[in-house]
Amino acid sequence: MTKRPQLIIPAVVLGVILLVVAAIYWIDDAGSLPSFFPGHEAGSTHVHFKHGLAAAIVGIGCFVFAWFQTGGERPGTRGERPSA
Amino acid sequence: MDPISYFQAIVLGLLQGVSELFPISSLGHSVVLPRILGWDIHQNDDYFLSFLVATHCATALVLLLFFIKDWARIIKGLGRSLRDRYIDPEDSDAKLGWLLVIGTIPAGLLGLLLEHPLRTLFASTETAAIFLFINGLMLFGAEALRRRAPVRDEAGIQNDQAIAHRLSFRDALGIGTAQALALIPGLSRSGASMGGGLIAGLSNEEAARFAFLLATPIIGAAGVLKLPDLLGSQGDHVRGQALVGALCAAVTAWFSVRFLLRFFETNRLTPFAVYCCVVGAVLTVAFALT
Repeated sequence: MTKRPQLIIPAVVLGVILLVVAAIYWIDDAGSLPSFFPGHEAGSTHVHFKHGLAAAIVGIGCFVFAWFQTGGERPGTRGERPSA
Repeated sequence: MDPISYFQAIVLGLLQGVSELFPISSLGHSVVLPRILGWDIHQNDDYFLSFLVATHCATALVLLLFFIKDWARIIKGLGRSLRDRYIDPEDSDAKLGWLLVIGTIPAGLLGLLLEHPLRTLFASTETAAIFLFINGLMLFGAEALRRRAPVRDEAGIQNDQAIAHRLSFRDALGIGTAQALALIPGLSRSGASMGGGLIAGLSNEEAARFAFLLATPIIGAAGVLKLPDLLGSQGDHVRGQALVGALCAAVTAWFSVRFLLRFFETNRLTPFAVYCCVVGAVLTVAFALT
């Protein structure tokens, strides 16, 4: 896999933003969400838990991606043989 | 009176265990079967959704137990690659683990965001029958576009190593996205992911194995996320039936995965494509006339 160290900082920043977005979805109800957020619905008391979960998953994905970009281009350990 | 009888729970549980893993759409069958049998059960009823949570959890648990040794290897591989910050192309367990992670993300995201609107939009038995027919066409199409003949690998390469070798991360992303088609009642999750695997260059056996591994976290997460519905007031009057249905689903899921892995050693998706096209067409006409 080709390493792209220049993407580490953007990936971390994006990951942090997405975790903040996830927290907003979990804390605020649909009526209190910023109007540009998907799921905003004036007056609604519904909490978009799944939207928050989706944002959190992508945010964690960004951190994992950044983590791999910090590694060198070296060979790792070999895989075990799968069981029959 | 209970909204689902124990007899209905047994039938629906047995059906769920089979149809979740066979490429014939479990959601489609759970929509059309109650209408065929004249049962007053509808896909969007709260109690029915709670019942389905239990059967999904049971199916996911069976898949997890069936492949438990493989999951242990895969998780160790994921750990090795995270530790090394490097995915060794020769570490098939690590590569397969990340293929599964990447394949799960699009299906998970689309499921989280679109499950409710799609379920509401395509709730009718008529659309489920039409999509069952389309599922058959999708399976025929996957077989037509396949890159490899359905023969067992004579080189002695183990399936997981072959999957890790043949699939790219982009392929896994595509297969994972195709899996999300199953949000529409009538289209099959395992059919979409097996078809995607065939088009990406896997054999039927490898595609089936990858589809089952890929299905485990998605089905499990879908079940766990909705578990509060079953445990809350929505699950009142169906918990006993849900438990019976889950046990039935677990039994048929176990035998289904055993059967399918052997079946796909030498066979294609074609019989399931024929089944879906015939049943989908017959039901579409029948529902239109009644």
